Amino acid sequence: MILESVKEALEKMKKHGLQGDVYGMESRNLAYAINKGEVSDISDFEEVGLGIRVRKDGKLGFAYCVPGKEERGVLKAKELSGFSQKLDLTFPSTEKVSKVKNFDERILTVMDGGEGMDLARDMIEAVRDVKDDIVATNGALILYTDSIAVGNTSGTLLEGSSTSLLAGVTATIHGERTSLTASESDCSRRLDIDFRNLGRSSGEKVDSMRESSDTPTSPQTVVMSPDAFSGIFRFTLVPSISGENVRKNKSVYNGKLGESVADGKVNLVDDPTKDWGMGSRAFDDEGLSCTPLPVISDGVLKNFLYDLKEGVKSRTGSTGNGFRGSFKSPPMISDMNLILKGGDSETDAMFPERGVYIDEVMGAHTANPVSGDFSVVANSAWKIEKGQRAGRLDGMMISGNIHECMLRMELGDDHRRTFFRMGPRQIKLELPSVRISGMSVSGG
Amino acid sequence: MTLKKMVDGIVEQGARFCDVRKERWDVNHLVLKDGNVEQMVSGEEEGAMVRVLYGNGWGCVGTSALERLEDAARRALAMAKQNHTFKEEKTGVATINPVTCKEYMPAKIRFEDVSFQEKVSFMKEIHNFLERDWVKSADIIYRDSVVKKEIVNSEGTHVMMEIPRLVTYMVVTGKENGSIQQASEGGGGTGGYELREGAYEKVDTVLDRLRDLLGADTAPSGRLPLIMDHHLTGVFVHEAFGHAAEGDLVTSGNSCLARKLGEMVAGENVTITDDPTFPGYGSFPYDDEGTKARPRILVDGGKLNDYILDRESAWKLGLEPNGGARAEDFRVKPIVRMSNTLMKAGDMKLEELLEDVHRGIYARSSSGGQVSPAQGTFQFNAQVAYLVEKGEITKPLRDVSFSGFTLDTLRKITGITDEMKTGVGHCGKGQSAPVSDGGPQVLISEVTVGGR
Repeated sequence: MILESVKEALEKMKKHGLQGDVYGMESRNLAYAINKGEVSDISDFEEVGLGIRVRKDGKLGFAYCVPGKEERGVLKAKELSGFSQKLDLTFPSTEKVSKVKNFDERILTVMDGGEGMDLARDMIEAVRDVKDDIVATNGALILYTDSIAVGNTSGTLLEGSSTSLLAGVTATIHGERTSLTASESDCSRRLDIDFRNLGRSSGEKVDSMRESSDTPTSPQTVVMSPDAFSGIFRFTLVPSISGENVRKNKSVYNGKLGESVADGKVNLVDDPTKDWGMGSRAFDDEGLSCTPLPVISDGVLKNFLYDLKEGVKSRTGSTGNGFRGSFKSPPMISDMNLILKGGDSETDAMFPERGVYIDEVMGAHTANPVSGDFSVVANSAWKIEKGQRAGRLDGMMISGNIHECMLRMELGDDHRRTFFRMGPRQIKLELPSVRISGMSVSGG
Repeated sequence: MTLKKMVDGIVEQGARFCDVRKERWDVNHLVLKDGNVEQMVSGEEEGAMVRVLYGNGWGCVGTSALERLEDAARRALAMAKQNHTFKEEKTGVATINPVTCKEYMPAKIRFEDVSFQEKVSFMKEIHNFLERDWVKSADIIYRDSVVKKEIVNSEGTHVMMEIPRLVTYMVVTGKENGSIQQASEGGGGTGGYELREGAYEKVDTVLDRLRDLLGADTAPSGRLPLIMDHHLTGVFVHEAFGHAAEGDLVTSGNSCLARKLGEMVAGENVTITDDPTFPGYGSFPYDDEGTKARPRILVDGGKLNDYILDRESAWKLGLEPNGGARAEDFRVKPIVRMSNTLMKAGDMKLEELLEDVHRGIYARSSSGGQVSPAQGTFQFNAQVAYLVEKGEITKPLRDVSFSGFTLDTLRKITGITDEMKTGVGHCGKGQSAPVSDGGPQVLISEVTVGGR
C-alpha cells in the first residue's frame, strides 16, 4: 500500500514539473507496559504517512501528509521551497541495493497472536524469582514493524520491511527511606532475546547492591558496562562525526582526518549492512544503497557521515547516512549502525585491583556535544576491591572528556546492541565494556 | 457511528470504561542555520486513540486511519480482556463529573494568519541580532502548532478544545582562543504568534552566557554550596521533585515521595506548585482524560500536600483526579505529567545569598537534567556557572553538573530570593510534553558538584 502512495506522490511531482523524493512509512508499535510486578496495560498504534521533498529552481521544500492527500503535500512542499537557498542536489538513481537481514516473521506472529504478554511475564517472573523482596517495578516490551518505501524523480523506487524488539525491566528493592533499583535492557531485530535471563540479570544486579561503600578518592580506574558507556558515547563522540558539525566547526575532529584520535586498537565503523544490527538496512532514507563506513580505523580518523544535502555543501557526496525518524522529519545526518570494537578482554579481566564499576549513568544528555566534556551520575555503580565488585556507590559523579578517554581506553569483548531514541533521532550502537584510567570521581 | 455510540458500544460488551481522544494537528517547524533557511516543514495529521478498561486490564489502540477507529476500539477491548486475565492488582478510574464543553485557548495572532515570509523575516532578524565576530554559528528554531482535541468517554464527558503553542530556540556556537562553546535559550508559551516577541529579550542573555563560557575554566568537584538561578531552580523543582510527585510513579513504587503525603519533605520556606492554568508553555484547559485543569500545591510550607494525578492513580490513592493526564499526541496513551512547575518566591536578595557562600558555585541556566524518582536522586547541568569566593563572584566555569538526593537537598535550601522567572522546555518520560518551570534564585547549602 505504501509503495503505491509513494508512486502517486511522484506522479503528482512530475505533473507539476518538480523534482523530488518521497518517503513513505507504514508502521505498527505494540507495547506491554510493566508496573509493580505485572503488565499494567497494552498499547498498540498503527500509522501511515508520507514525507515529500521537492526541488524547484534548485531550492528544497518539505511537507508531510497522509496517503490520499499526495497532491496537497506536493504543493505545500513546493510553496515552502521558495524560502530555502539554492543547492545543487541531485537525487540518486539507485537500482540495486545490498541484501541485509533485518526482518523476522516471528515478531509479526507474536504481535498478531498476543504472545507478547507471555514474554513480558517471563521477564517479570524472572525478576521475582531472584529474591522475594525484589520486584519488577517498571519496564516494557515493545514489538515494532514497519514498511518503508523511498522513491524519487530520478527513477529510484525501493521498498523494505523490518522488525524490532525492545525489552527492558527495572528491578527494585524497596527501603524505608529510599529504594535500590537496577535496570537491564536488550534489543534485537529478531525474536532471540532471552527474556527470563534479562529479568534474572536485572534482579541479580539489584540484589548485589544491598551493601554500600564510601566513594573512593579521585582519580580512579573506571570500568563501564556497554550500557553505561553508550550513554556517554552517544552524546559526546557521535555528534563529532557528523559532516555538518565538522563543516560548521562544531566538532573537535575538524581538520583531523588521517590523524590518530584514539588508542591504536580502537575501531569505529558504521555498518548498516551487518545482518540483524539494530540499524541494519539495505538503503538509507534518501534512497542510497548502504555500505560499511570506517570512521576510526586502528585509532586513526578516517571518515565523517554525510547525507545528500550536507554531501553537496561539504563537496564530499553522501555516505548513505540520510535518516528520517518518521515521515514527518526531513532527512538528517545520522549514524545507522555504529560498531565500536578493538578489545579482547573479558569484563572480569578488565577489573583493576582497585577502582569503580559503573553499569548505568544518569544525565549523559547534558554533556557538551562540541567539546566532548561530560559530568554524569553513576546510577548503578560498585567499588572494585581486589579485582572484585564490592559494595555499591551512591550518588557518585564521574567526569571527563570523551576524546581524552578515547586515547587511553581499553575495550572488552562483550559486545552488546544498544538502542536509544530522542525525538526523531535514533542511535543504534554496538559496543563492549570499556576501562578508562585516571577518571575524575566525586561525591557520594 | 458517533464517538459516543462507539464508546457506549464497548461498555455494552462488558468494559468498565472506555474513552476516545481524537486529535488534529497543524504544525509549522522552521530552522534557520547561519542566516539561511535550512528546514521548513509544514504538516497536518489526525488520528485517535481508544482506551478500554475491562476488569482490571487496560487496552489502548490508536490509529492514524480514522475510518478504522471502530476496529481499533474492538481491538482495544480484546487487549484489555487479555490484560485482565493476568492482572492481580485492582484498578479503576476515579470519578469526575461528566462535562460537555468547548474551550479554545486564546491566540491574539493566529498562526494561519501569518505568512511563512513573515516567520522567516522574524527569524532572520533574530539571527542578525546574534551576529558577532566570535559567534561562529547560530541556529534559530521556530515551531508553531495548533492541536484540536475531542475527548469522549463512556460516562458522558465530551470535551472539545483547541491549544495553540509557539516555541523558539536559539543555539549559538562561539570560538575564541581555541575554545569552542555553545549556549542556548528558549522562549514561547501557549498562545499565538504574539509570543515570538519574547525571543528578542533572550538575545543578550544568550550572548552574555556564551561570552562567559568562552573564557570559562573547568569547575572544581566535591561537595559545595550552590546558588541556582531562576531557570535552574525551575529545572530542579521539575526534575528532582516534580517527577517524584507524579501519581503513576507514586502508585507503582517508583517514587521516593510514596506514602509521604502530609509529611514535611522540605524546609518551611519551600512551596512548590504545578499549575496548568498558569500562563506558560505547559498550559491546558482540560487534561487528556477530560478532567478540568486546576493548580496543584504540591509542597505547602515544606509539607507534601498533593500529587499530580490522573484518574487511575487518583483511584489507587483514594484521591480526586486533578487534571494530570497528558499525551504527546494521538499515538500514545495519556500518562501523568507536569505542566507549569514553579517554586514560590521568598524574601531575600541575590546579594544576601552570595554573602552566605565562602566557597561555592553560582549556576545559571540549564542544559537539562535527569532523575531517578525511585532512588530519589537527580543530576542536572548548568549552561554556565561562576565560582563564588568569600561572597564574591570571581570567575566563570563551564561543564558543571550537580547531583544529590532530592529529599536531602530540599531540606538544605537555606535562602530564596524575592523575584521569580520562568522558562520553557520539553519534558521526556517516554513521551515529550511541553512544560514551563521556574522560580526564584535559591541557595542550597551543599550538593555534589561534578567538575573536572
